[in-house]
Amino acid sequence: MHSDALIALLPFLMMTATAVAAMLAIAIRRNFALVNGLVGGGIVLSLLSLAPASHRAPVQVTELLRMDDYALFFIALLLLAGLAVLGLCHDYFKEREGQNEELPILLGTALLGGSVLAASSHFASLFLGLETLSISLFTLIGYPVEQRRSLEAAVKYLILSGTSSAFMLMGIAFLYAESGELSFGGLGRFIASEPAMNAVMVSGVVLIVAGLGFKLSLAPFHLWTPDVYEGAPAPVTAFIATVSKGAVFALLLRLFVETGGYGFAPLRPVLSLIAVLSILAGNLLALLQTNVKRLLAYSSIAHMGYLLVAFIAGAAIAKPLVAESVTFYLAAYFITTLGAFGVVSMLSSAQLEAADMALFRGLFWRRPYLAGTFTLMLLSLAGIPLTAGFIGKFYVFTSGADGGFWGLLTAIIVGSGLGIFYYLRIILAMAMEVEKIEPESEEKFVGLQSAVTLVVLSLLLVWFGVFPGDLIPYIHALAGSFGK
Amino acid sequence: MMLSALIAVLFFGGIAAWMSEQRNPNAPRWFALATLALEALLAGWLFAGIPAAEMAVPATASSWLAEVNLLWISRFGIGFHLAADGLSLLLIALTVLLGLMAVASSWTEIDKRTGFFYFNLLTCLAGTVGVFLSADLFLFFLCWEAMIVPMYFLIAIWGHENRTYAAIKFAVFTQVSSLVMLVAIIVLALAHYRSGGALTFDYVALLHTKLDSNLGYWLMLGFFIAFAVKLPAVPFHTWLPDAHTQAPTGGSVILAGILLKTGAYGLLRFVIPLFPEAAHRFAPIAIALGAASMLYTAATAFAQSDFKRLVAYTSISHMGFILPGAFSGNLLAMQGAVVTMIAHGLSAGALFMIAGFLQNRLHSREFGEMGGLWTAMPQLSALTLFFVMATLGLPGLGNFVGEFLVLAGLFEASPIATAIAALVLILSPVYALIVIQKAYHGPLQNRPVLSDGSFRELAALGLLAAALVWLGLRPQTVLDVSKPALQSVRHTLNARET
Amino acid sequence: MIAEASPVSHILPLLVFFGAIFALTAVMLGGAYFLGQRHRTPRAEEPFESGIVPTGDVHLRFSVHFYLIAIFFVIFDMETVFLFAWAIAVREAGWTGFIEALIFIGILIATLIYLEAIGALDWRTRRQRREADRRQHGSDACTGP
Repeated sequence: MHSDALIALLPFLMMTATAVAAMLAIAIRRNFALVNGLVGGGIVLSLLSLAPASHRAPVQVTELLRMDDYALFFIALLLLAGLAVLGLCHDYFKEREGQNEELPILLGTALLGGSVLAASSHFASLFLGLETLSISLFTLIGYPVEQRRSLEAAVKYLILSGTSSAFMLMGIAFLYAESGELSFGGLGRFIASEPAMNAVMVSGVVLIVAGLGFKLSLAPFHLWTPDVYEGAPAPVTAFIATVSKGAVFALLLRLFVETGGYGFAPLRPVLSLIAVLSILAGNLLALLQTNVKRLLAYSSIAHMGYLLVAFIAGAAIAKPLVAESVTFYLAAYFITTLGAFGVVSMLSSAQLEAADMALFRGLFWRRPYLAGTFTLMLLSLAGIPLTAGFIGKFYVFTSGADGGFWGLLTAIIVGSGLGIFYYLRIILAMAMEVEKIEPESEEKFVGLQSAVTLVVLSLLLVWFGVFPGDLIPYIHALAGSFGK
Repeated sequence: MMLSALIAVLFFGGIAAWMSEQRNPNAPRWFALATLALEALLAGWLFAGIPAAEMAVPATASSWLAEVNLLWISRFGIGFHLAADGLSLLLIALTVLLGLMAVASSWTEIDKRTGFFYFNLLTCLAGTVGVFLSADLFLFFLCWEAMIVPMYFLIAIWGHENRTYAAIKFAVFTQVSSLVMLVAIIVLALAHYRSGGALTFDYVALLHTKLDSNLGYWLMLGFFIAFAVKLPAVPFHTWLPDAHTQAPTGGSVILAGILLKTGAYGLLRFVIPLFPEAAHRFAPIAIALGAASMLYTAATAFAQSDFKRLVAYTSISHMGFILPGAFSGNLLAMQGAVVTMIAHGLSAGALFMIAGFLQNRLHSREFGEMGGLWTAMPQLSALTLFFVMATLGLPGLGNFVGEFLVLAGLFEASPIATAIAALVLILSPVYALIVIQKAYHGPLQNRPVLSDGSFRELAALGLLAAALVWLGLRPQTVLDVSKPALQSVRHTLNARET
Repeated sequence: MIAEASPVSHILPLLVFFGAIFALTAVMLGGAYFLGQRHRTPRAEEPFESGIVPTGDVHLRFSVHFYLIAIFFVIFDMETVFLFAWAIAVREAGWTGFIEALIFIGILIATLIYLEAIGALDWRTRRQRREADRRQHGSDACTGP
């Protein structure tokens, strides 16, 4: 193996070493703060190691991994999100009983899986990354074993995720049976040489799309989402909503660009249908929710639908613009979603998960900064200007309009109209007057790490909303080199 | 730089007002007043700095009276491009005046969370000023949205009994229509890019985009829907009576006086110059919509039993004059539309203030609870009569000038449409006199002693009355200032026709 | 694979196979349903085991430790498979392979240490452990809940 390849792999090696070291640390002494700090330090080291890796990019490390700018950007995004979740976890779990020390390790391994996904250029690494991510998630979701809802969510996710993985494996097997190729590039060459795809190839592609659709909680495969979002501890929910989906979407785009999946016409109506269904189902069902975590779950389904529109546009427009739109949208979505669940996590106490809408009533006048942050996040989710979410939506609109997908754009507009209704409903609840303030809600439990995380996220949100020009050049550059 | 200061002063003044609440709950009012005074000074300075000769010169769309152009997001060719011509300056003057009125009318009405109230009020004004100054479509859209959120809060937090419904209806209507406009903006920029130009959102650059006539028509519709919702024109007007009725007085004044004008401004500034050919094709429909708006809502108005709701419907009726004014394609009618915008801002703002004053005293907006108020509060009643007369188009006051010019201009384009639109001149006295009769005449109901207007209230209304008289007697100033801008609008229209 | 095979003929065997499975299952289940007798007496609900009356419930409760140990066995056993694969190709893999195998084994050992430290390999129940602790250190030592 070349030294170039080793250096390119450095982020992965760092993350693996972190997990092992943290495990040994627990063996010596159980201390939540210590393990948390260790994993946090490991993530920071991995982030730092991205710098030497980026000097050598793009590097193809064996057939499995492709460390180009696209992969490195996503790995950085995932790691930063992981760091934010770790900060939230610190305050969320420190008051709770039980052995919480394994939690940071699992976050670390899940990040490793996500990062592998972002860099994978081969079905084997795809599957390895996906399973590393999912298996860590099962445990993370069910971490508070005493809580019935968490366990239920974990079991649901375990079974459905297992099924979807099986679907995907079957799809991969079909493709392999026909083409004899497992690498994306090889498959792309095979597809290009074939005049038309036969039924086995078609079923393979459909099965893979179904499998990935499950992980992204796109419409017909979204049924697990609200239950899992509700049952998982709030920081873990933030993790599922961002890291797991972001990594899979990064992979989906690479898979399509490198295998030439865009040229495959029958898939386009299927994907369009999925996008429209996700947007409509997500937004319509969100209208009915009184639980903030469930509401955010449905809204995340809708957001994945919006993102899919930019993705579908790749069939008609230049791939770099698609990569740019998807990347910016995901970055904005990461900031916003982490912030929103961060607020939920900060509001939660050891006794009560703050998910009921009633708990948010009058929050503006009780904890103005927290409510202000949440308002900012919700406005960004609704795509109101001067937030990063708006620029993301602008990108989606641009991609869709460039490709001329008017039906899909109409769906987004309708969805956004519905969306503004329920986002504003939460803001309104927070702004409502409350006559009687319960004494226990008055105790202001503020965790330093969560507070810092939220402040940083809010600043980023506004910064990228007002000066997106500071982020766009990087994304533009990585998108330009992507897929070449 | 002057132009960015106009926006920045309002925004930072709003933040200062918000922050000052922690020290003293009365401080935000003074901060808001000081901010608007400063804004008035700046605007006055800007006016004074422009030589009168330059005002009269017929300007092409690219020669502004004042301009700021900075590159903002280079990836999409988006600039921080602010520019002012006579039309924007007039509307900014109106904004400042009505902003002061809004502060004055909420001086005692708002006693909860004053800091946040004035923050929202001032940011809403900042967004409006931004809309009037933007010469970049992206920036314009941004300011357009920046008006909506603070207004939503104004209605949702400080509104009356049914505020949640009204606020959400307002937000959903405006948000959906503005997203349609966003798509149109993006497609326009892409079309410009494809036809060989650079990727840009700059207004001046996009003015000369060659569009396939079908595409142009659709894009024009995209813009038109957003502006027609704001205006509002008839099929899209249902949010307005609710929003107006439920908003606090200050919010109503801004909503009627300024926010509706952004829709009219958008028609004159964007729809017609950007898509002259499509606008010409669309003109009969737009004129018909305008006439329908005027008549339908005027008829609806006199079925209302709620003071504010009645005034809200008359608002829609009057804003109906804008559509024929803007689309008839001659200078006279366009100038009439501008005068109507200003006159309606003043008179409707005043009527909403009066409705607010009455509500503070009676705790009701129902005509059933009123009656005989003339004896109890003669001064306020006299002023009401004045503004009602202005609304029904009494010659000598601003509204008359605007309506007359629109009808005179429209006659050239379509005598039949003019005849139909003129019917509203019969309907408006009916609803206007109903107000006076139901609220002020008749026996006084048994109630505790009602105080007449306070000095603050009378002074604010007096200022508006003076402005209306001035506009009615000497409209030439407004006509002169807005003429170059409107001439260039008409010029694009005529250039495409031939 | 025959290149000119049309999609339909290509997938036909698969369809026939699936169809046969469905048919067979349907015949077996449906046949039993339609042809079989049905009794509704309480006796019919009892499991029949060579005429002997059942004693007690079949749902025995095992200690979760059995499963834990079983899973450890499966996992560590599976890891050995990788070492077999390496052992066959040890010469071809060379020193790089050797170092990689060492890292692999190192991680396994770290895991083992971790499992031992958290008491996952301890067969005693929680109560037994607590009692043992008390016997050893008196009443103060208690490392975990």
